[in-house]
Order: sequence, then C-alpha cells, then structure tokens
Amino acid sequence: MSPLDLKAQAEFADVQTVGIPRALLYFRYKTMWRTFFEELGRTVVVSDKSDRSTLEAGAHLSIDECCLASKLYMGHVASLLGKCDAIFAPSIDNLGNFKGFCTKFQALPDLVANTFIAQRPRIISCEIDRADSHIKEQEAYIDLGQKLGATRKESKKAYAAAVRAQANSDEKRARKQEDLLKRVSKMPEGERPLRILLAAHPYVVHDDFVGSPLVDMLKEMETCVLFADRHNHEKALEKSFEFSDTLPWIVNREIIGTILDLYDQIDGIVLVSAFPCGPDSMTNDALMRCIKGKPILSLTVDAQSGTAGLETRLESFVDILRYQQRGGYLHE
Amino acid sequence: MNNESNRQQSEEPNRKQTALNAVQKAADTLKRRYSDETPNASISFIPGTPEALRAHRNKKKQKKKADRHARTKVAFLRYSYYDIAFKYFVEQVLDADYVSLPEPTRRTLERGAQHSNDFVCAPFKHILGDYIEALERGADVLVQFAGPCRLGYYGELQESILRDMGYEFEMLNFATVTGKPLQKYLTICKEKVNPNISISQGVKQFLALFKMIECLDAYNDAYLAKAGFEVEHGSFKRARDDFFADMRTVTNLNQITAAYKQGMSVLRELPVQEPADPIRIGIVGEYFTAVDPHSNLNIEEKFIDMGVSLARYLNITHRNLHYNEENLRRGVGEYVSYDMGPTSTMTIAAAKSYAEKGFDGIVHLKSSGCTPEIDAMPVLQRISSDYHIPILYLSYDSQTSDTGLDTRLEAFYDMIAMRKAR
Repeated sequence: MSPLDLKAQAEFADVQTVGIPRALLYFRYKTMWRTFFEELGRTVVVSDKSDRSTLEAGAHLSIDECCLASKLYMGHVASLLGKCDAIFAPSIDNLGNFKGFCTKFQALPDLVANTFIAQRPRIISCEIDRADSHIKEQEAYIDLGQKLGATRKESKKAYAAAVRAQANSDEKRARKQEDLLKRVSKMPEGERPLRILLAAHPYVVHDDFVGSPLVDMLKEMETCVLFADRHNHEKALEKSFEFSDTLPWIVNREIIGTILDLYDQIDGIVLVSAFPCGPDSMTNDALMRCIKGKPILSLTVDAQSGTAGLETRLESFVDILRYQQRGGYLHE
Repeated sequence: MNNESNRQQSEEPNRKQTALNAVQKAADTLKRRYSDETPNASISFIPGTPEALRAHRNKKKQKKKADRHARTKVAFLRYSYYDIAFKYFVEQVLDADYVSLPEPTRRTLERGAQHSNDFVCAPFKHILGDYIEALERGADVLVQFAGPCRLGYYGELQESILRDMGYEFEMLNFATVTGKPLQKYLTICKEKVNPNISISQGVKQFLALFKMIECLDAYNDAYLAKAGFEVEHGSFKRARDDFFADMRTVTNLNQITAAYKQGMSVLRELPVQEPADPIRIGIVGEYFTAVDPHSNLNIEEKFIDMGVSLARYLNITHRNLHYNEENLRRGVGEYVSYDMGPTSTMTIAAAKSYAEKGFDGIVHLKSSGCTPEIDAMPVLQRISSDYHIPILYLSYDSQTSDTGLDTRLEAFYDMIAMRKAR
C-alpha cells in the first residue's frame, strides 16, 4: 500500500471534536465510545439529557410513524449541530446470527444524513455486520480508528481499551445491583421492599425524559428497582436461548435472559416500550404469554402522551404486588 | 404546489387539530395510526412457572404408524401469485401434498389480528390468519421463511400462538437454520416433511422452481405495463388467470417454459389502445405489502382500472433470486451509504430509476410501523424533490379500508394527470 492510499483513508483525520447523541445505543456503548475516541486524542461532546424540547425537535424532524426513541435521537443530533466537528453515528446491524439489532441502528448514518440534508453535518460512521458481510465489531472500529488518522496498531489499542472500559463499567453496575438484590432478598418477608425488574431497552429506561420519571415513581413507592441491563450480558444472552431459538435481537435476548436468571428473586416485572417498537411488539407479547407466575405490567410510552398518566398504572401495579405479597387474590 | 400535496402525508399533523383529525380518521382509516384506542398499559398474571416460547416443542408426539402411503400435507402462507411456486416446491421438490388455500376473506385477517399483538406488523396478522385456515383444511406442516427484520421471528412466534390455541402441527421454519450450511436446510425438510426426498430430483426441480418464479414475475411485469390499456374490459385479467392455471399444472422445466411462451404470446396478442404518452406509476415498498394484493387492497387493479401503466421492480426474482444489495446501493450512492434493512435499498433504487425514466408518479406501500421502509422515506422525499416526481405514501394496518384507499388513489391520479396535461 502506498502512503498516498493511507492518506486517502484517513478522511476524518482533521476531526477534533466528536459529537455523540445521548440516545439509542449510546446507553449501551457510552463508555466504549468515549474511551475509543479519547484514546485517539479526540474530544467527545455528548448531547444534553433529553427533555420535552428534545422530543419536540426530534418529532418535528422525523416521519410521524418513527418510534419515540428514534425521534429523541434526531432531537439529540439536532442539538449537536455546530457543537462538534462530526457526529458519530455507526451502522450496527448485528454481532452475529440471532445477535442482531433493530434495523433502525443500521439506518442511522443515512437517516441523519438525509434528515439534515440542508445542514450537511459530517458523519463519522462504521459498519458492523457479522452475519452477512462478515464485518466484526473489532474490525469496524480498527478501520474507523485508521480513518481518524491512527495507525492500525494505535487503533487496535484504542479499541481494546474501549472494550475493557465498557466491560469494567458494565461489571461494576451489575455487581452493585447484585449486592443490592442480595441485601434486599435477605430481609425478612414483612419488611422487604418489592423487587421490581424494569425490563426495557436501555435507551428507554435510562433516558431522562422517558425512563427516569418511571424509575423515580417506583422509588417513591419504596420499591427496589432493578434494571435488566445491569446484569451479566453474556450470561443473559446464553440463557435466552432456552427461551427462544430464533429471536433475532440481542437486546431483547438479554432482557429475557435476565428475567429468567433473576426470576426467583423478583416480585414483579415492568416492561416499558417506546411506541411503536418493532422488536418489542413481538417479544413483549411472547414474554407476557410465557413468563408465568409473576405479575407483569406492560407500559407503552408514545410521543403524544409521554409518561403522563402512567403513575396511576404503576401505583395500581404496586398495589397488586403488595396484595399478592400478603397472600392476596393473585395467589394460586 | 405539487410537491406540497405529495409531501402532505409525511408531514407532522398539527396537534392542535386533534378534534378535526378525529373526524378525518373516521373517514380515512389509511391515515389512522393503529394504536389510538389501545391502552398504553396492561397488567397480566398467569399462574405457573416460566416456559420456553415453544414449550411444547419437545413434547413426545404420538408416533404415527409409519404409513408409506400417507403423504404429508404442507401449507404455505398466501403471498400474491406465488402459491403457484409454493405448490411446485411442495409437490416437485419435497414430494408431498400441497394444501391449497382459497381466496382469503375479511375473516381471515380478522382471525389473524385477533390472536396477534396489536402493534405487530400487518403481514404477521395476514399470515397467522392464513395458517389458521390451512390447519383447518388439514395441513400437517406449515412453512415459514427467515428474514432480516421482524420476519425472522414470525415463525417461532406464530407457532407458539397456534399451539396455545390448541392446534397440532409441525413447523418448517427456515429461520431455525439461519446461517447454517445448506445441508441443514435439507435435513429439516426431511425431518418435518418427507424423509425420502430424492436429492437428485429435488435439486433439479429446485432449479426449475427458480425458472418458474422468473417466468411468473416476467409475465406479471408485462401484465402490469399493459393491462391498463386493454380494449375489452377484463381481457388481461382473464389471460393472466389462464396462464396461472396452466402454471399450476406443470411438473417440469420444459412445461414451465412452454406454458410461459404460450402465456406471453396470448398476452401480446391481446388488443390494446395505448395513448402516445400514458400515465406511468412505479410501485415501491415493503416486501409483503407492496407485492401481495390482499395486503394492499388490490392497489394494482385499482390503478389498472384507471388506465395506468404500472411497474414494480420488487418481486421474488429481483429481491431474492438475482439480488446484489451492494451493487444496487452503489447506484444510489448519493442518497445512502449503508443498507437500511430488508427492502429499503431496493425501494430507493427503484424509486430513483422510475424518476430517471420520467414516470409520472411513485407509490410507496408498507405496513404500518415497518421500520426499514419508514427509514427509507426521508430518502424518497429527497428523490421526490430532486426529480420533481410526486410520491404517494401509503401505510396499511389490519383495519385499512377500501373506501379510504380509493379516495387517496383518485386524488393522486387526478394530481398527476393534471401535471401531465400542463
């Protein structure tokens, strides 16, 4: 390879500040992405936390039929315009067969480019598609690092550091939740708070506009709130194959695996879905029919009503759980 | 002005007009989102312990007495005219009996929808309805495909729903062998349908099947282009029905080619009165809804009745048999850099090609909530403004009505006819 080729490849060498929208897969990969770019000497700008105006801006930019989470994403992208040299929007299809993502995550770079055609923001992207194009995550990021002007070796090192940082952070959160659960489960039955598992996409449940109000409501009701994504991902993924052979989406697999893993230690499950979520439309139905023996509350949050009115639903669900804890009518 | 009207569908409805919208929604179900009446919260509790999605899959089946004379009865879903190919596959490749399904009724979709989650895409509901009817007609085995979107999960979920309803059957679900070697495909066919499949015969007939699909699609392309100009009303439809009837009786490659030749020559002979510069509309969209007449409420026939020449690049030949997504994408490189999922690249490529060829309009069809096709829409909007070509966006759910559709199509037709006359 001639030095000229190398130069041509480094199309993002001049990008200093990388903007990352605080939405969708950010909630899965935030530590990894930040570390990767920082290792390569870049400054990372993450958009502000979601609020009503993020959603309004995003909804205005999106096709009406888009899901709530993708509308939020567009709102976050809009807020980053002019605040960074380029926006990071990877195209993530899958990490292998039956470890796929919603097609939305494949489409993001093009969706951003076509939505903001007037502003023409620079977009940093890479493609991860192991099942069909045989592009593994590692290859995609190493390639991206080279586009940012790093050598292959530097890029490899940055990716390794990024993966390690993400794994550490995931593990720490998982361990913290495990300790909490252990502590609570040891408490005598009369004093023990209800253990409620929030089973939802991380970008729904950890979003400040959508999920956080729900978490706060549950905490105010003095329940012990557990998150499906704060659990060992590999273990959950493996467990999910006991439930389904062909479920295509890795995040839904991890959610189901976690439910099965923690089944004996939880009192109830709350499913939260961003309307209209394609993967959830199929998996949540399957969950409700097959996860027997635990009360399940299924909430759908849409762009119009947001979380308004959901408090009463949560209250009545918690009432039911308390009633059942005391041997109420839901007992067999 | 024209651009305004063709974009109106995709623009954010004014929230302050809720009351007005409610009236419009009642009149036009095509515009209605499928969720309005659905509660946004539900609580469920089923006593018991967690089960696998297909908990009954390992249940010991009552061993049927091996009977060499009892052939397995296999059913597919309904999908446009491809029942002809499905039948050929079952009879000639698998060497089993094919369960033919009659024309679907409104009840088919109603039953499918009744047992599906509300938010699931419309094709799921259509197919579930088909399966219920197939099982009631004695099918032993149902066939489902793999796919790169929700389709990949259809089979397992539908199997689970049907078992919960109490039906007993086998499911030949190709999603279970996704990414596995070809040998696995053969193994599950043997396991579920016929242990005595002849490999040499099967391979030969499988290649013939490809040819058959190419013939069906090529015939249909010719039909769509010309049927709008028939002199005698219904003559094209009759010719096509005859051709399909012939294709249902063929048993080998020679007969397939002969039937195709015969069918095409009859079609070419039919008298037509074609205007010098006819109105041409291109159809793009999602794999199922854009192709299957029952799912799109016969949109092609409606346009043909208006005297329009139609083109639809999307079919099994182009999407499955001769599909090179990457090369197709290179052709629309100014619009997209990555694959956005199932049919989105084809939707964009076909739309651009219709625009370049000077078509008068494009119709984009999809089931409500189809993510990849929704994501293709901003690109279509750009194509629409770059080439000044009107695009009608239609989204179908299980309650979309014929009258709502007719109004929209007539308005669209009037608009492009007026543009053309100018």
